[in-house]
Amino acid sequence: MLVVRPVRPSDLPALERLAGLAIPSLTNLPAHRTRLEERIAQSQQAFAREVECPGDEHYTFVLEDLERNEVVGTASLRALAGAREAYYTYRQETLIHASQQLNVRHEVQTLALSHEVSGTTQLCALALDPRYRGTHAERLLRRARLMFIAQYPERFAKVLAMAFPGSLDEHGASPFWDSVGRHFFVHDYHEINYLAGVRSKSFIAEVMPQFPLYLALLTPQAREAIGREHPAHEAALAEMLDEGFVRSRHVDLFDGGPIIKADRNLLHSFRHAAWHPVRVCPAHALADADPAMIANQRLADFRCVVARYALTRTGQLTLSPEHAELLDVEEGRAVLAAPLALPPCATRGAGYDRGEL
Amino acid sequence: MRIRPIAEGDLDELQKIARETGVGFTSLPDNREFLNNKIATTTAAFAQRTPVDRRNYFFVLEDEESGELAGCCAIEGQVGREVPFYHYRLGTLAHSSAQLDLHRTIDTLFLSSDHTGDAEVASLFLRPHYRGKERRHQRNGALLSLMRWLFMAEFRDQFPDKVLAEMRGVFDEHGKSPFWECLGRHFFPMDFAEADRLTGLGQKSFIGELMPRFPIYTPFLSPEARACIGQVHRDTRPALAMLKQEGLRWEGYIDIFDGGPTVEAYIDDVRAVRKSRRCRVEIHDASDTLPPRPRWLAANTVMADFRAAWVSRGPDEEDVLSLSKAEAQRLGVQAGDALRVLDTEEVS
Repeated sequence: MLVVRPVRPSDLPALERLAGLAIPSLTNLPAHRTRLEERIAQSQQAFAREVECPGDEHYTFVLEDLERNEVVGTASLRALAGAREAYYTYRQETLIHASQQLNVRHEVQTLALSHEVSGTTQLCALALDPRYRGTHAERLLRRARLMFIAQYPERFAKVLAMAFPGSLDEHGASPFWDSVGRHFFVHDYHEINYLAGVRSKSFIAEVMPQFPLYLALLTPQAREAIGREHPAHEAALAEMLDEGFVRSRHVDLFDGGPIIKADRNLLHSFRHAAWHPVRVCPAHALADADPAMIANQRLADFRCVVARYALTRTGQLTLSPEHAELLDVEEGRAVLAAPLALPPCATRGAGYDRGEL
Repeated sequence: MRIRPIAEGDLDELQKIARETGVGFTSLPDNREFLNNKIATTTAAFAQRTPVDRRNYFFVLEDEESGELAGCCAIEGQVGREVPFYHYRLGTLAHSSAQLDLHRTIDTLFLSSDHTGDAEVASLFLRPHYRGKERRHQRNGALLSLMRWLFMAEFRDQFPDKVLAEMRGVFDEHGKSPFWECLGRHFFPMDFAEADRLTGLGQKSFIGELMPRFPIYTPFLSPEARACIGQVHRDTRPALAMLKQEGLRWEGYIDIFDGGPTVEAYIDDVRAVRKSRRCRVEIHDASDTLPPRPRWLAANTVMADFRAAWVSRGPDEEDVLSLSKAEAQRLGVQAGDALRVLDTEEVS
């Protein structure tokens, strides 16, 4: 059985292991013991804090496989991406240069440094043991955070954002970094990424070029990397587009990776999440049904599992005694459920989100 | 050989010059209507019929023996008044962070119109058969270049504080500008020659409309393009050397198309402006022949009938310059008239 729950101090070795496994390594999950310890402490404070509006809370969750008695994944929520310092991105912009004299109209693409994403809630720092890739476990880990946000909307921003690692070349180098950031730093992409995780990314952003960059002056490889995700993250990105996220004009400062965003109320899981009273049934008596994410109503003892979405005629959700215990719910208490499957999004490949134009 | 303002009958000769100048010489396109117009506006300027900030003084070097025009040069009273005048300014931005143990400076090109209102010396051209080894002793190029300082010194109140000169940038063996190929090409839907031609015709509004408006970090340019910044075409080196000798300096401004340097100075600091002085004319009967390498440059003090030429000697201790009849005629002066002279060999 799999469960997503808030991180505990005893999860430190597991977090360290997961941080080391991420491909490519994640800026916001550095394999650095002190930083991870801080991350855990910060998360515990966030879950314990009374919050009226989102601030610098950083919630970290883990995915535990109870059969193996092992933590096999982690994912985070930054309540406000730019709470302590600005969250910098490059925003893709198009300028029209038109000349009446020559009767020409010329579109010029630029990347402009932006703080705009600072006001969003960021879903970040997801790392999963490779053995679980492509399974329900991965989808649960990624989307359990939405179940948490749905229950505590006052703790989060209305717009959610997610950055995906950018594409790297066959040598593991970032063509985008090599054509942009490298002019300003001696470090290669992996060094700067680690440094950003250990120090702070916005700190580095402030030393990045402040004027917009003309795409025409970047290498063709760098231009191609803009808004393109790392192949290992294609499926994850597609899932979130199905969930209702859209590609934004923003890309990561370091590797040009895509940043997607969504009005949370438009997300599939938000629109289809429903409260149901629990009815506990022996496992062998449960009806067959599609899988769903099921979350309890506890803040610091938040739990989210995958179980069959089987309802009784009177709208009660049937749960096995094991799941009921895991969620710490008794018969008659309500849980939040949302289907795990998502209908494929028709506009997966489409451009930027409509709200920007 | 003498310098005089261009006149109405010069159109055919001027067009010959325009044909010989070619690409890269923006101010003299081979366009009869344009050239005719140029003669008209410059005639009005010398007659002081146009306001000081709209004057273009266009001079020609006349071969009195053949009646041919040997070359030309110009002074723009104030640039950027009728059409915008753009440069890139090469500046430095520090990217520094003590915590990151980082300190880098990044060369950056900023679009600028800083030179608006400055005077410009331009359009200097000497036809091929008036330069070269056998003609070198005549110092025709130096005459064209230096007479402008005498003109500005004499009519100092008609000019602003500063003067500049735009120098032709680097072109490769195929006649292409690496700077343009790396930068301008992306923003202007035309080749260099066409952009250059339009600029020459004074149709510059497209530059402001199509130029990149944000600064350009030079590390984003190709090494070939970076190597062009502030560098001149091989053929332009002597002209640049002459301007530098007068005290003009490169202050980081470059041409937006080819990256060539713009050199500049305060007019009052220009060596020839400082060193030139007025003297009084006296005429003697002996016939003069110029020394093998003339040293003294003289110009009269009447704007509408301006003349400048090499003379065979300098003024005496009482600032009296004795000219032969031919010299006086060449300069359009009579005994008792004022003349401005420059000793071009005086060490500054």
